[in-house]
Amino acid sequence: MTLHFVLEGALVGVAVGSIYALIALGFALLYKSTKILNLAHGEMVLFGGYLAIALTRSLDLPVWMAFALAVAGTLAAAAALGFVVERGIMRPLYGQSLLSVIIVTLALGYIIRGLMVGLWGGDTRQFPPVVPTGVVRFGDLIVPRVGIYSAAVALALLVGFSLFFRYSLVGIAMRAAANEQLTASTLGVSLKRVFAYAWAFAAIAASFGGILLGLWLGVNFALDYVGLKALAAVILGGLDSIPGAILGGFLIGMLENILGAYIDANVTAFGVSLHGFKEITPFVVILLVLLIKPYGLFGTEHIERL
Amino acid sequence: MSVRPAGDFKTSYAQDMALLDTALYRIGFALLLGALLAAPLVLGRYLFLLNTIGIFALGAVGLSLLTGFAGQISLGHSAFMAIGAYASWYVTTRLGLPFLAALAFAGAATFAIGALVGLPSLRIKGLYLAIATMAFQFITEYVIIHTAGGMGGTVVPAASLFGFQIRTETQFYYLLLPIWVAGGVFAANLVRGRVGLALMAVRDRDYAAQVLGVNLLQYKTLAFALGASYAGVAGSLFAHYNRVIGAEHFTILQSIDFIAMIVIGGLASVWGPHLGAGFVILLNQGLRYVTPSLVTLLPTFARAATPLREIVFGALLIGLLIWEPGGLAMLFRKLKRYLDLWPFPH
Repeated sequence: MTLHFVLEGALVGVAVGSIYALIALGFALLYKSTKILNLAHGEMVLFGGYLAIALTRSLDLPVWMAFALAVAGTLAAAAALGFVVERGIMRPLYGQSLLSVIIVTLALGYIIRGLMVGLWGGDTRQFPPVVPTGVVRFGDLIVPRVGIYSAAVALALLVGFSLFFRYSLVGIAMRAAANEQLTASTLGVSLKRVFAYAWAFAAIAASFGGILLGLWLGVNFALDYVGLKALAAVILGGLDSIPGAILGGFLIGMLENILGAYIDANVTAFGVSLHGFKEITPFVVILLVLLIKPYGLFGTEHIERL
Repeated sequence: MSVRPAGDFKTSYAQDMALLDTALYRIGFALLLGALLAAPLVLGRYLFLLNTIGIFALGAVGLSLLTGFAGQISLGHSAFMAIGAYASWYVTTRLGLPFLAALAFAGAATFAIGALVGLPSLRIKGLYLAIATMAFQFITEYVIIHTAGGMGGTVVPAASLFGFQIRTETQFYYLLLPIWVAGGVFAANLVRGRVGLALMAVRDRDYAAQVLGVNLLQYKTLAFALGASYAGVAGSLFAHYNRVIGAEHFTILQSIDFIAMIVIGGLASVWGPHLGAGFVILLNQGLRYVTPSLVTLLPTFARAATPLREIVFGALLIGLLIWEPGGLAMLFRKLKRYLDLWPFPH
C-alpha cells in the first residue's frame, strides 16, 4: 500500500464521502426526530437521481437552465413525497411496533423503486453534459472533476443544513422535539408538523445525494444500495447523532476507497481473490462497530431499567 | 379467547392445553390433512405452487419463532436458507451421502451457525440487531458469489430416498408434506410449552424475563438457532427441488419476502407463517400470470409491467399493516368470532 495509493484513495473517499454524509444526514435527522429507521432512504436517493435526469432531458432549454429547473423541481417533488409519506402512511402507524414500521418503510421502498423503474427503465441513465468532465491533478494525485464539484456542493449543503437547524424557528422546533418529544409538545411545538418536516428534509437530502451521484456515475436501478452505505455511516457515527452521521459518511467513503480498494485488488484469502470487497466494506464496518461499540462513535447509550 | 361450544368441558390440564382442543378442530385438521394428501390428484400441473408454498412456509415458521415469538428482528433469514442449501449440495455431491443425511446436516449446520449469529443479540437489540443481521445477509451473499461461483451456477442432484430417485413434482410433494407438517406441529408444540413461554417473555421485555429466571443467553441463541435451522431445512429442500441454486435465490429481497410472509400471516401465530407463505407465493405467481394479459389489453402499459409486482406487493403490505396489523390469522379469528356469534353482534 503505497502513500500515493492512500492519498488518492483519501481524496476520492472524501469526495464520495461528502455525498454519503449528505444522505446519512437525512437518515439520522429522520431517526432522531421520529425514531423511525427509514429503509426506503436508498429509494429516495434513487427517486432524486431518476427524476432530475428525466426532467433535465425533457426540458427544451439550454442545458444549464434545464438542469437548474430540474434540480428545483426534483427537490420540490422530494419535499412533497416526504409530506405525503408522513401524512398517508406513517401517521396511521404512529405507536405501532418497531417491526411494522420497518416493514412499512421497506414496502414504501418497493413502491418508489417500482414506479421509478417502471417509468424510466432499469438501465443506467446519465445526465446530459451539465458539468465539465475530465480530471483534476494535485501534484500526481488524480481526482475526477465531477467529484470536486459534488464534494463542494455537498459541503455547502451540510453547512446550510446546520445553519438552518441552528437559527431558523422550524429548525429549533425540530431539535427541541428530537431532544425530548413530550416536553417540546407541551411547550407548543406541533409534533405532527415536526414529523412532516423531518420526512420532507430526509427526502430532500436523499434526493440531492441522488442528483450528485447521478452527475458522477449516472443512475440505475441499483442506486438504492447507496442508502445502505449511508446506513453504515449512520451506525458508525451513532444512530441519533447528526455530526456523527456526517463524520461517518466521510469515514465510510475513505474506508471504502482505501481499505476496500486495496483488499479488492491485492488480497487473496484461501486462494480466492477478494474481488468486489469494496462493495461490502460498509457492512463489515457495520458488524465490527455493532460488536465493539454498539451505539457508534457519538450515539447516546441506551440505559434500560425495569 | 373465543367462544367455547356448549357442553365442551375440560377436565384435565392436558385437555386444556391440547393443540386441537375441540372436536370441530380435530375434524377440521383431519380434513385439512386429507385434502393435502389428495392435493396432487386435484392440482395437476399446479402442484408446483403447493411445493413452493411448503418450502417457504417451513422457512417462515423459523422466522416466526425468531421474530414473532422471540421478538428478535432478522433481515438475514434467506442467508440461513442459502447456508442450508449449499450445505446440502456439499454433502450430496462432494461427500456422496444420501439426501436424508444432507437434510439432517443442513439442519444441524444452520442450527450451529444460527446460534453463533445470535450471540450478538445479547449486546445489541431492536433496530441495531436488524441492521447487524442485514450485514450478515450481504456478507453471506458475497461469500457465496466468491466461493460457489456466483449466479445460478450450482447444480444439485435429485433427492434420492433409499435408492429411489425423486424426480417429479408429485414425488417431491410426498417427500415435502411429512416434513412440512412435522415442522409446523413441532413449532406449535414448542410455542405452547416452556420454551415458547420463555421466548415470549424475552420478546415482551428481556431484562424482566431475566429477573424471572429466563436465561437470556440460552433462549436468545436458541431462538436464533431454531429459526436458522428451519431456514436451513427449507434451503436443503429448495436445493433438491429447484436442482439449481445460485446467489440470486437467496438475496436480501428474499429475506424481506420472509418478513412479509410472517407479517401478512400474523406475527405471533402458529398458522400465520403458513397462511402468509401461501399468500405471498400465490400473489407472486398470480401477478406473473396476470401481467401478460394486462399488457395485451393495454400495450402502453408494457414497460411498467415488470415492476408491477413490486408496487402491488408494497401497496398490499402497507394497506394490511395500516388496517389489520394482526395479519391474516387475526382476520380469520375475527371471522370465526363473527360466525360464532351470528346473528348477534356481541
